[in-house]
Formats: sequence, structure tokens, C-alpha cells
Amino acid sequence: MKSVIWIFVFITVALLGFGLYQALVVAPTEQTMGDVQRIFYYHVPSAWTAFLLFFVNFIASIVYLWKRSAGSDAIAVASAEVGVVFCTVVLVTGPIWARPVWGIWWTWDARLTTTLVLWLIYVSYLVLRRFAAGSQTQVLSAALAIFGFVDVPIVFMAIRWFRTQHPSPVIGGGEGSGLDPTMWHAVLWNWLAFSCLALLLVMVRYRLQRMEETVEAAHAQLALQGGSR
Amino acid sequence: MSGAVALKAAYIVTWVIQLGYLGYLLGRYRKVREEMKDLKRSS
Repeated sequence: MKSVIWIFVFITVALLGFGLYQALVVAPTEQTMGDVQRIFYYHVPSAWTAFLLFFVNFIASIVYLWKRSAGSDAIAVASAEVGVVFCTVVLVTGPIWARPVWGIWWTWDARLTTTLVLWLIYVSYLVLRRFAAGSQTQVLSAALAIFGFVDVPIVFMAIRWFRTQHPSPVIGGGEGSGLDPTMWHAVLWNWLAFSCLALLLVMVRYRLQRMEETVEAAHAQLALQGGSR
Repeated sequence: MSGAVALKAAYIVTWVIQLGYLGYLLGRYRKVREEMKDLKRSS
């Protein structure tokens, strides 16, 4: 089992390297923006990976409420935490791109605002997990995760529903939108690489969650034994 | 900020966030493993 994980680590590192090569070397330079457009090859795959992780969190939360299994709860926590990491990358790389292109770091348009709200929802979820005490914490956080996921389609559709400063969508954006086929390779390779990295991080975080639960249970057991003496 | 500086900054920040999180996870993992060993010794 350990060797399989190490092979997966190796594949992920190779994919990340290949994705970087595609983004910086293979993809053509965009005519209007120049090299700064290459931020797109990290910004968009990070956003898609975050959406995917929040979807996993949503499904795991439903399963937890249905079956009350510790495994699905651990998957929910792990995917939410890693999702927040990727969403943070989106919120940081976006303004770095915006400053030279728009002349401003941030504007309160629909896409940017809903993305910030999404990040805040999942940070709230993690804060709830970290600091709330009591037997209902898992149930409350699963409910928050299910309602919180409603923002994901809103973020995705924001640039289709509203007039925004954010660039038009690359998928399903109608006539005149979309990407050059050579640019697609860089986007998809980086998405694959980020998805593999996300899977690795979720696996480590899941294992950590289960170990922490074991330690907590052992401490409670020791306290009970100490109290009964 | 020029385009080239922005590009470098965005890629470096992405890696710092991702590797920083990985480092944070591994640190916590090590701590829990030590705690598990201590518990085994004390029980």
C-alpha cells in the first residue's frame, strides 16, 4: 500500500512539473495581456479543484447525516479544509492578475464577491469544527456544509447571470468566448495535476482526522479509568 | 506592478500556499503520531 502511495506522489509531482511547463512554455502568449494572462493556468484549475472539493464535502455531509459514520465526517472535514486552500489560491492569484490588467486589486462585482462569500462559508465551517464543543458539532457542521454548497453554483453562474468586470466564461459563454485549443492543454493538465495534489492532501488530512479521533477517544478512556479509581 | 512580476508573484504565492499547507499537515501528523506512541507507552 505504501509503495502505491509513493507512486501516486511521484505521478503528482511529475504532473505538476508538466503543468508548469505547459503554462509557461507551451501555451502561446495572449495578444492583449501578454505573459500576465498565464496566471489563468493556475487561477482557473485552482477554482475548479476547489469546487470539486466542496462538492465532495457536500456529498460526505449528506452521507454523514444519513448514516452517522465517522468516515464520511472525516472526508467532509478533509475536503473542506483542502478546498479552502485552493479557494485561497483563487482569491490571491485573481487580484495579482487584476492589478496590471484592470489597474485595481479588487472590485465588488458578482463573481469576486460570491467567491469571497464562498471562502468565508467554508472558513466558518472549519472554525465551527475547530472550536465548537459537544456531540452535535458534526451534525451542525454537516448542515452548514449542505446549505453552504448552494453558493458554488452561484459562483459558477455569476458571470453568466450578471454583467461583471470578471472576464467572460471559457465554457458555455456563448459566441466569441472560449479558448484557443493550445491554451486548453495548459488548463487541463494543470487541473489534472491540482486534482491529484488535492487528492493527496485530502488523504493525508483524512488520516490525520482519524488519528486525532483515536487519540481523543484514548484520552477520554484514560480519564474515565482515572476517575473510576 | 508589471505583467512579468505579477506572473512570478502569482505562481510563487500558489506554491507557498500549497507547500505551506502540506508542511502544516505533516507537522500535525508527526505530533499526533508522537501522542499515540505516548498513549501506548502509558497504557
